Amino acid sequence: MIVSRVAENAFWLARYLERVASMSRMMYVNVNFVLDVNLEGVPRWMPMVMAVDAEKEFLARTPEDKRDDAETVQQFLCWDRDHPNSIASDLYFARENARTIRETISLEMWESLNGLSLWFNSADGRKLYQRERFEFYQRLRDQCVMFQGFVLETMLRSEAYHFMRLGTSLERAVQTARMLDLKHHALGSAARTAEWPREIAQWQAILRTCSAIEPYFKVAQGELSGPRVVEFLLFEKKFPHSVIRSLEQARKFLKQVRTRGSSTDRSFKALEDLHRQLDAMSMEDVVQRGLHKALMWIDSAIAGICAAVQEEYFLAPPQVRRHRKSPQRKLSRTV
Amino acid sequence: MAKRVGVRKSEGTKEPIFAGYKPLASTYDEYFAEAGKVQPHTGTIVQQLENLGRDEIRERMRLAHASFLEGGITFSVYSDARGSERVFPFDPLPRVIDPVEWKMVDQGLKQRVEALNSFLGDIYGRQKILKDKKIPAAIVLGSPVYRKEVKGIRPRKGNYIYVAGIDLIRDQQGTFRVLEDNVRVPSGVSYVLENRIVMKKTFPRLFDRHNVAPVEEYPNRLRRAVTSAVPGRGTNLVVLTPGVFNSAYFEHSFLARRMGCDLVVIKKRVYAKTTGGLQPVDCIYRRIDDDFIDPLAFRKDSMLGVPGLVEAYARGNVVLANGIGNGVADDKAVYPFVPDIIRYYLGEEPILEQVPTYICERKADRKYTVENIEKLVVKAVNEAGGYGMLVGPKANKRQRSAFIRKVNADPRNYIAQPLVELSASPTWMPRGPAPRRLDLRPFVLRGNDSWVLPGGLTRVAMVRGSYIVNSSQGGGSKDTWVLERKKS
Repeated sequence: MIVSRVAENAFWLARYLERVASMSRMMYVNVNFVLDVNLEGVPRWMPMVMAVDAEKEFLARTPEDKRDDAETVQQFLCWDRDHPNSIASDLYFARENARTIRETISLEMWESLNGLSLWFNSADGRKLYQRERFEFYQRLRDQCVMFQGFVLETMLRSEAYHFMRLGTSLERAVQTARMLDLKHHALGSAARTAEWPREIAQWQAILRTCSAIEPYFKVAQGELSGPRVVEFLLFEKKFPHSVIRSLEQARKFLKQVRTRGSSTDRSFKALEDLHRQLDAMSMEDVVQRGLHKALMWIDSAIAGICAAVQEEYFLAPPQVRRHRKSPQRKLSRTV
Repeated sequence: MAKRVGVRKSEGTKEPIFAGYKPLASTYDEYFAEAGKVQPHTGTIVQQLENLGRDEIRERMRLAHASFLEGGITFSVYSDARGSERVFPFDPLPRVIDPVEWKMVDQGLKQRVEALNSFLGDIYGRQKILKDKKIPAAIVLGSPVYRKEVKGIRPRKGNYIYVAGIDLIRDQQGTFRVLEDNVRVPSGVSYVLENRIVMKKTFPRLFDRHNVAPVEEYPNRLRRAVTSAVPGRGTNLVVLTPGVFNSAYFEHSFLARRMGCDLVVIKKRVYAKTTGGLQPVDCIYRRIDDDFIDPLAFRKDSMLGVPGLVEAYARGNVVLANGIGNGVADDKAVYPFVPDIIRYYLGEEPILEQVPTYICERKADRKYTVENIEKLVVKAVNEAGGYGMLVGPKANKRQRSAFIRKVNADPRNYIAQPLVELSASPTWMPRGPAPRRLDLRPFVLRGNDSWVLPGGLTRVAMVRGSYIVNSSQGGGSKDTWVLERKKS
């Protein structure tokens, strides 16, 4: 057992960092593959904003002719601290959560995250962003992976560890689902039977965003098609970023921290439900339901699981809640 | 990447570091008895620093700064909306203390803290010392930090003080004197430990030829002291902090790591909210002031405290370290009576000297203070951090008369002391070492027995001629070495 607040900070630390990793991969790919998939009439940058759920803030402050502008979107998604979905905000919250539970995480984890944050906010970080955009995103991603390495190598297998891994796994499932939805944001939901060549390029970009291009080809044996990519990213149990694999991991870690004999077990049941339904699902089911709809369903199911985790493990029991005051600054989000 | 560290050869053109160093007039210097003549215990360190040379020292200072920053060993600045953090200025020239001298300090501190604990037990008990008229009742009971709410409550084992930070200074002759007591929530110890870690990392060779007393056992000792009043193993200890935006949060988290928290009181027992439900709490190492600790007992607007905590404490269901109401023992108006307090409870003569003090509430003292303000340091009795004070010799006429008005308006709130020429130590400035004044805050732990952390936090006034060492006013710190007798 650990203090609920510590569990909550651990959970959110992991989620924020997973977002930083996912966003930096997405931006990296989009900058890098601009030549492959630069298509007339297909928005390239705006879908990124939609994928991280920042549409409202973005539209409110961006003139129409700038909404698919590479620099505008990157500035907004990388540096803008005035909305919670930028890399800068995610990194800030990750670090604040880590700082709050500095006594719980390992020295190596803290130093690597603090170092990343110092670099990101330094003149050096800014300079790299301006001069070598690829390298900038790559470095961000690499540092996130290094942090994960320190988690695995140096953190005590305590309950806080399990909450961190739970956070990572759930966030990863969400991120993969959202990346899969990028295509919907770019092209809309018009159903097509035959794939355009340019769609193929887009699927490739999505695979890269999920670090999946080589693993995919190994499994798919050379064939590249939309349905196969979807199937791979949703259902491939051997691939670390697939939705099903991430949920399996989440299940494993939630099982570790589950309070036996407690009156409610909603989070675990909800997670098992989603996992079971997804496991039983076939590609035909997904096609029938429509990919966007299926992904939305996954997204909201995971949001439900997170809310239940929040309720069962992080919030105080009723007699405590009476006294509880709102925190000075929120380090977590509700979803 | 290969780095040239410590292999740089002296080319003969190197200008000695301390050649131009002049100790301040009528001030004890920690390194030099007079210009060019080292103190008996600082010859080795001076030689070692000379061997390193200016460039090497500068390079290592840069590494030390980076090390603090990367480690997140920072304090936050409240006024900054983004909650930005700063590194506490660190000076690489260690303060070195002779073992024989330290032994006396060690004993003097234990004696003093023991007497203060007895005093608290008496004041919140039968108040014998007041009845015997050893100290005016008006001063004690009229103290704004006397907590009548805990009168009659005897904490477990009668322990009020588990952790004390006693501020010492050295006078012109080099004698250590107590300047202030702090038995509420003394802070700064994590910097002692981190300074040592960074010092060892950046100047490892300096330790080769010195037998420096270790400080690393502090967190363990703290835990042992704080849990000493609870029988049995597996005691649940929590650290109660005002939160991450407090300037000393780093330290709170630091201490929790070596030994966090939503607490609740149900039926006069304290519980921590955990992922497995409510867990009973036996001990609380609290870093929140009395005022904020329990909105039911003290400030109703406290967002930090635990409602009902004082009642649980009164029932003996939880140990608070430190106890409630300790402020009355370190009130600056009570300070002048501490030598009498030591004699009264322990029947011993005080080992440590202190600074002569005028209590402005007393007519004669007030008159003296007003008439001699240009020679005195006047302090508000319950303020800390270098605030609410006037350094008479440094102030101008207008500031002095403004302060005199304050003293006359609320005499209980002020004391005055002659300006002590705080000792100085060579401190690294951009052009090399220069004398800067400093103090020392040793930490005393009281559990089943008393223990003093060898050394403590040396704070140094980085500004030339300044007497104010507080970090909030631009002070820095140094690693503090208490030498032990040679091993062989």
